[in-house]
Amino acid sequence: MLNLNEMNDEKLKAMWSKAEKLAGTSDYKSPAIEQFISGRSNDAASKIRNMIILDIALKTLVLAVLIVDFVLFWGTFHVMVVTVAGAVMLIPLLFYQKKLLNRFTLTAYNGQSTRDKLASMLTYLKTRFFTTLLLVAITYLFGFIAGSLAYFYAAYGYVRQLDGVDVMVFLGFIVIGILFNFLVNRAQVNYQIKHLELCLSDLNENNLALVSENIELQRKQDRSNKILLALVVIVGFVLLVAVFMNV
Amino acid sequence: MKNKTKVQRSTKKEFSERIREHQGIIHKVTMVYTDGPADREDLFQEICLQLWKSYPRFRGEAKFSTWMYRVALNTAISNVRKNRNKPVHEFLNENVQLIDEIQLDGDQVRLLYRAIAALNRIDKAIILLWLDEKSYDEIASVMGTSISNVSVKLVRIKRRLEALIRDAEKHEL
Repeated sequence: MLNLNEMNDEKLKAMWSKAEKLAGTSDYKSPAIEQFISGRSNDAASKIRNMIILDIALKTLVLAVLIVDFVLFWGTFHVMVVTVAGAVMLIPLLFYQKKLLNRFTLTAYNGQSTRDKLASMLTYLKTRFFTTLLLVAITYLFGFIAGSLAYFYAAYGYVRQLDGVDVMVFLGFIVIGILFNFLVNRAQVNYQIKHLELCLSDLNENNLALVSENIELQRKQDRSNKILLALVVIVGFVLLVAVFMNV
Repeated sequence: MKNKTKVQRSTKKEFSERIREHQGIIHKVTMVYTDGPADREDLFQEICLQLWKSYPRFRGEAKFSTWMYRVALNTAISNVRKNRNKPVHEFLNENVQLIDEIQLDGDQVRLLYRAIAALNRIDKAIILLWLDEKSYDEIASVMGTSISNVSVKLVRIKRRLEALIRDAEKHEL
């Protein structure tokens, strides 16, 4: 019978060292380990990081297409204005997203203490993750504008005027896309948030209260950023209507 | 460009060699955080990858083994997957031959394992570090908590282990 009261710490540790043998662990050689480190990560932080990197790449692509649209529609004033306005809004957003990526890389760093790692991930997911999703939504919107312009040029040589119903249908699809992306991500993140909160309070009961204070503070600081980004989304919709209804 | 790739390849090789020497740490972590050989290998790979990604920031302020523990435990604690509730004893039953080899302690070790597996993720990390002869100071630094908190927690964890083992023994009788 095993009784921890009757055992001293040394016995427990000695038993643990025997327990290691039980696992029947493989002895990996260097080439196998080299292969492991060349693989792809499956953890939540890596997925978020990849989402940000993909968004930066897509924003760059959209910017390039907007520049091409500007050249293609040279002389069509309202289209040129829309492409310039789109590019002017996208460039600072690209830098902002890059800044978010750098910050997230620090958040996701596994070499910090467990408490710091849990707290920084929780803070990010409860505050900046929403900003990241807004930035991704903006890419969808401007991507749609830039892509449609290029398509219309290739198909008709001009921007075909759309009636109110067409615009409503397009806007409807974009809004559904943005909402779907938001809801899917939100559901995954909510599960992650619950796990992080549980681990933080398991580590120390006071941790969660302290982190919550910090989250509230950061939320207040980020409020203006979110309002600005929401404004960009609205302006994007206005541009979309303007360009396709020949306003 | 060619030189950069060459340097990266040699760093990768050097790093893999270093991990190979200290792979026992990763095995210990995967043993208590997973419930089967397939999950264990997945987590082993994920930890290796996270170690590699975090390596450029390792400045040698802590011992390499302590830094490895940090990365490995943070990876294991964050590694949440739904619907993975296979009890640890099933995994241990897959190693019957090994249990037989150390018959005398086999039952005790199996109970100890089952008890550790029933702890929450944070308590698993603390007891794992303690069983691996880490000082209270090192445990506090890895976990990001105070030494007094580690000390209080360890007393509680040992009590909980005792209760879990007693409970498991009753069920086996």
